Amino acid sequence: MRSNRWKWVGLVALAAAVAVVAAGCGSSKKATSTSSAGGSKSGKTFPLFKIATDTGTDYLDPGLSYTVEGWGVMWNVYLPLIGYKHVNGPDGATIVPYLAQSLPTVSSDGKTYTLTLRSGLKYSDGSPVKASDFKATIERLFKVDSPGVGFFGNIVGATAFGKTKKGSLTGITADDATGKITIQLMAPQGDFENILATEFAAPLPASAPAKDTSSSPEPSTGPYMIQSYKPNKQIVEVRNPNFSSSALDNNVPTGNPDKVIWDVIGDDSVALQRVISGQDDWEGYHPIPPDRLSSVQSKYGADIKTFTPANTYYFFMNTTQPPFDKVQVRQAVNYAVDRAALVRVYGGLATTTENILPPTYPQYKKHDFYPYDLAKAKSLIKAAGATGASVTVWNHDRGLDPKASAYLVSVLNSIGLKAKEKVINSGVYWTTVGNQATKAQIGFADWFQDYPHPLDWIDVLLNGERITQTHNNNYADYNSKAVNAKIDALKKQPTLTSSVNSQWAALDATIMKDAPWVPFLNRQFTDFFNSSVDLSCYENHVLYEFDYATICKK
Amino acid sequence: MAQPVTESEFTLDTAAELAAGERSAAEIRGRSPWYLAWRRLRRNYIAFAFLAVFLVIIAACALAPVYAHHVAHTNFDTNHILETVNVSGHPTPVVSAGGIIKGKLVASIPIGPTWWHAGGKFVLGADANGRDIAVRLLYGGRTSLIVGIGSSAICVFFAVILSLIAGYFGGWIDFIITRFYDLFYAFPVILLGIALGAALAINGFHHFGITIQSGSIWIPTLVISYVLIPYVGRPLRGQILSLRQKEFVEAAVAQGAGPLRIMFSELLPNIMSSVLVFFTLIIANNIVLEAALSFLGAGVQPPTPSWGTLIADGKDLIATRPWLALAPGLAIVLTVLSLNVFGDGLRDALDPRAKVRVEH
Repeated sequence: MRSNRWKWVGLVALAAAVAVVAAGCGSSKKATSTSSAGGSKSGKTFPLFKIATDTGTDYLDPGLSYTVEGWGVMWNVYLPLIGYKHVNGPDGATIVPYLAQSLPTVSSDGKTYTLTLRSGLKYSDGSPVKASDFKATIERLFKVDSPGVGFFGNIVGATAFGKTKKGSLTGITADDATGKITIQLMAPQGDFENILATEFAAPLPASAPAKDTSSSPEPSTGPYMIQSYKPNKQIVEVRNPNFSSSALDNNVPTGNPDKVIWDVIGDDSVALQRVISGQDDWEGYHPIPPDRLSSVQSKYGADIKTFTPANTYYFFMNTTQPPFDKVQVRQAVNYAVDRAALVRVYGGLATTTENILPPTYPQYKKHDFYPYDLAKAKSLIKAAGATGASVTVWNHDRGLDPKASAYLVSVLNSIGLKAKEKVINSGVYWTTVGNQATKAQIGFADWFQDYPHPLDWIDVLLNGERITQTHNNNYADYNSKAVNAKIDALKKQPTLTSSVNSQWAALDATIMKDAPWVPFLNRQFTDFFNSSVDLSCYENHVLYEFDYATICKK
Repeated sequence: MAQPVTESEFTLDTAAELAAGERSAAEIRGRSPWYLAWRRLRRNYIAFAFLAVFLVIIAACALAPVYAHHVAHTNFDTNHILETVNVSGHPTPVVSAGGIIKGKLVASIPIGPTWWHAGGKFVLGADANGRDIAVRLLYGGRTSLIVGIGSSAICVFFAVILSLIAGYFGGWIDFIITRFYDLFYAFPVILLGIALGAALAINGFHHFGITIQSGSIWIPTLVISYVLIPYVGRPLRGQILSLRQKEFVEAAVAQGAGPLRIMFSELLPNIMSSVLVFFTLIIANNIVLEAALSFLGAGVQPPTPSWGTLIADGKDLIATRPWLALAPGLAIVLTVLSLNVFGDGLRDALDPRAKVRVEH
């Protein structure tokens, strides 16, 4: 998922996803039922929690939404069969059963996942949750051209169903009587549990129409249901009368607020003022404007929380387009970019990096191949014969990101290239640079995890086998046979053991020696609350960020 | 052929001069309408004062490279993020360090105005990229003035041609051109400008053998001139329709003059005063429109500075570094005010009955 605030999709097309074909061994994984401490904090309920959210909520349909804001609303509304622990810190990446009785049982060849739906579950409208609803939900993704279809392209029959959108998705079988759900994959896939934990896989009634249901939301399975939605104005959530946390082993909290109202506010300063004045309780997804940070810190420092979601900001360099088809030129740019300068461009709330994977990952191992060295950069450009080469730096026009490309243009010009900038509307930026016809040479990109797994970074963004003509996420068009083979091998690993993690870390270093990117920072963000909010209950999830269900009021 | 001096140009001033015996009647009849307009204009000291302000702004912007290289020692797009500058002998970071410092959140903030305490560097401060605002203000002024004046010239040129054709030929030609005007009237100028500017910003313009690369200042120049043609053309067409019925046109036709000669030798000179006034007033209008489009990202593209893009850059730091947005804002106000006051003076001189109004 791109940029934390407003990241439409450019998810890899189905065709690319199903191209991930590999035979391999897998190990059988014994299903376990896990009980977490994420349950309701009794006695902490309160009537209303109000949020000044930004404009990033794209849909309130779990089959269509693909923004942090959309998922942030819905992760307490539409529950997948398995999901993440509602806890702070790295433990939040642990997958636990939600609507399923236990984690999936995986066959020895790694290609068959079996789950059983808990009995007696009901949607918020009182209708029963059936195993066949899951199958219908995945089929619906293809029917609505969901941005999430690429995640499910490895299911047997997905290619054919994606083309015809008729009949049945043969790779999924569901038995409503027993609640048993079986998923057949074409090839083992180490991150498939994470994919089952996405909002895309959250069951909806089989009767859900194959169209956007944001304006008349489907009944929910989570602690809250959406009462009303006025796009770009307001979302109102109320308690789901049929939800029971104990029925889900307390893996999903009951929720403390009785009602949650999301006011859509476009401007960061206005949102800040609303929270200060008490009109809203949380400045949802809005950063505190840098020039207000000092005054807010001095007056309301206790009401600010900082967090670092898994993210990497980088410049891609297209390895098929001159002059970046030469590794010396790509390395020169890595040497020439002073990452500390870019941290200041982003207001100081960031840490420098030259890794692909974020530092919050256990696979992260910091490397330092490219210390700032302008002289070396100039000599590399000269050695590559690239002096005076014309370069267009691409970027979109939102937030602080255009300042990063303005800096890059200055850097490229200083090492002997002839750079100019092309800043286009953020609504079309990702599809434009993700289109091979654009031949974007170099440009800004960022990545926020869809799920906590290195495959969501290195496979999605740098696997040459997943390069597509349009909606390409591999903006660098990086295609190394050795790296592709290593990714494919690691993809078959069912669990992320320390040995596997080391291999991912080594792969990160291998790729960066080829320098298809200039990773430059991992951003930090702030959550700001009204002083009436009790932050002793504050939880920030590794994937969904602030958990409004567990918050308390003083 | 220019019209002879008529009694209608006989003003109260000239009457007073005749009565006082300062001028003879023969001498008065010999004066051209341009001379009479000049006489009226030169007495309007306020208009001249604002013309002087405008000329100073033009001169300052024209000398931007001199200021950048010899005073500020930088360029408009050079980043100085990690550098320090001596302000009254104290080394000061151009962009301060930020982050969590001693347990507190601190934002990176660029240096404010040094007001000549740093040897001419960062006189008006720096932006988030550590670029000198005073340098960018002058370079931005060049862009804004080029776009404003260029788009006005193109707009007025096409408006005059279309209006001459529509007004002279009338009939279905007039009908088509008038509907073209109506079509553009139907769209709010800003919305149409954003739509065209945003569309052309990605791939530029590559049609009819004309190639304009995206990011070129020709794009906002042409977009602005294009969307405003009806606002100039329509009143001019009305004047030509009226002039078309005058005896001097009939006389020219009787003498065998062709359409081109009548349009350019008979009709055009009679609307030149209006054209001049329109041109002056619409420059101010176009500078504001350029700023609006650039502020919204559909005008001048970065890293080329313009007053609109500078305001957009400065709005995020309005609380701590207001000069980032105020300086270009004041430059726009001063330029537009000077052009409007001078334009009003010119209109009073050339068109005392005030037929010309720029409205939309």
